[in-house]
Amino acid sequence: MIRIAPPQDVLAQLGRAVLRWLAGWWRVVHLGAMILVLTLSPSSYSRASRQALARHMYLDTAPILLWFTVLCALASLVLTRIVVVTALSYGLSQYALEMVIRVLVLELIPLTAALFVALRCTIPNGAGLADMRRQGRFDAMRRQGIDPVRAELLPRVVAGVFSCITLAALSCVVALVLAYLAVYGFTLAGLPGYTRMFGHVFEPGVTLIFGLKTLFFSLAVSTIPMASGLYDIAGDGTRTSVELQGLVRMFAVLLLIEVASLMGNYY
Amino acid sequence: MQEPSEPTSAAAPVAHLEFKAALLLVFMLLLVGGSALYLLYARGAFEPTQTLVLVADDSEGVVVGMDLTFSGFPIGRVRRIELAEDGNARIIVDVPSKDAHWLRESSVFTLVRGLVGGTNIRAFSGMLKDPPLPDGAVRPVLRGDATAEIPQLIASTKDLIQNLNLLTAKDGTLDGSLANLQAVTERLKGPSGALGVLLGNEADAKKLMLALDRTNALLARVDGLAAKADTQVFGQDGVMSETRATIVQLNTLLGEARASLKKVDTVLVEAQAVGANTRAATTDLGTLRAEVEANLRKVESLVNEINRKWPFARDTEIKLP
Repeated sequence: MIRIAPPQDVLAQLGRAVLRWLAGWWRVVHLGAMILVLTLSPSSYSRASRQALARHMYLDTAPILLWFTVLCALASLVLTRIVVVTALSYGLSQYALEMVIRVLVLELIPLTAALFVALRCTIPNGAGLADMRRQGRFDAMRRQGIDPVRAELLPRVVAGVFSCITLAALSCVVALVLAYLAVYGFTLAGLPGYTRMFGHVFEPGVTLIFGLKTLFFSLAVSTIPMASGLYDIAGDGTRTSVELQGLVRMFAVLLLIEVASLMGNYY
Repeated sequence: MQEPSEPTSAAAPVAHLEFKAALLLVFMLLLVGGSALYLLYARGAFEPTQTLVLVADDSEGVVVGMDLTFSGFPIGRVRRIELAEDGNARIIVDVPSKDAHWLRESSVFTLVRGLVGGTNIRAFSGMLKDPPLPDGAVRPVLRGDATAEIPQLIASTKDLIQNLNLLTAKDGTLDGSLANLQAVTERLKGPSGALGVLLGNEADAKKLMLALDRTNALLARVDGLAAKADTQVFGQDGVMSETRATIVQLNTLLGEARASLKKVDTVLVEAQAVGANTRAATTDLGTLRAEVEANLRKVESLVNEINRKWPFARDTEIKLP
């Protein structure tokens, strides 16, 4: 015989789920704010912290920098070629370069760089933090008077932000150079027109939105997986679920930032 | 005290870690800084500009950042669009000083909206020797809207298509004409051919053929007549030979007449000489007459003298010799 739960029980369960969900997001936001404060405070950059920061910055950026740039260059070349050839066939070649820059540099590359950094660095780092927390090493650090957020979390978050911005910047520059070469070839004759078009695309508003979007992408992909690793929900202690939670939250935030930037640029 | 990074020390140590990290940081800062500088350069932050104000009655399609072109080359950029107090739109354009020499006092500016793509502001300088346009110059801009004529074009096209439909309809004029043409072609292929088409019925065509036959017969007879006339005119004893003999005789007659005329000429010369003599004689007669008149006066005066001296004589009559 199936027993139907009374409505007040269902409502209570729903309320608890919403509260849990809100609490999870509040932890993420709180941690982000805390990380920002710690990043901007000089006391976070002691010698030991600098060592850890340098290590994470180097290990999170250098190994993936070349591969990501090569992959991005190939994708940029293919996309540029497709757009230029299609535009030529429609007699709209004067808009091809502008479209390439808008699609590649403004939209695709920052998002791709953020996702690449997330999958390659920050999500594994978040999982590592969750492992450490489950092994009780955070409690041990606290007993020794070391703040685990400052010692373990901050370097990883800053390294993630740094990696994301570096990858995006390098890939954007490479994509810009490749787009120029794909359209004009190895000549400097098209440089004045290209520069003018570049200035035309990057209006102050668009540039601001581009910068903010890249920054928020990097903050999102660096902070959310760490928060998921740091504040694991009780009773849900498997490693997979930690990664999955971080991934879902991160994708949601990335989507929101992308939608907001698109609205800012084109509405 | 435990090192903060110890929990992650499972990874292999990295040589010159701080240097490499600093290198990465510098690389990132260079990338971002270089991009920012290039962007500032592309936006024209490092070159002096002069301002041009274009006044338009409608600024639709004009956006901040769009180009002002001259001969297809961008020489300026829209910085601001504002509504003036008189209701017109003021488009403020920054023109780099190095390109400002293309704009002259007599330059004309147009605002053209194309079917595809954005609005274009173009400058035309007909006389490049005019004085250059001063900084802050205010110029009207002429509007040209390619899309404005689309409704009219569509209406005209609709009319045209309607007319075409009427023409090509099943019972339309074109269809009728084609049917007639087909009938004419059928008749052309018939026994009477083009004549039947031209004359309308077969009987008339036959009459025409009969007339043609009779004309042919008449022409044959005319040919015979011409042969006979030829014989009579140009034959052995024809008109032409007799005419030639007559002409010979006429020539002879003319020669004789010429000789007679020469004789007459001689006579006339002589008569002229006689005339001349007569004229000379006439002159002498005048002199003679004068002398006679003088003698007569003398004689008269003599008689008068005698009469005075001869009082007896009553008879005063004088007997002339």
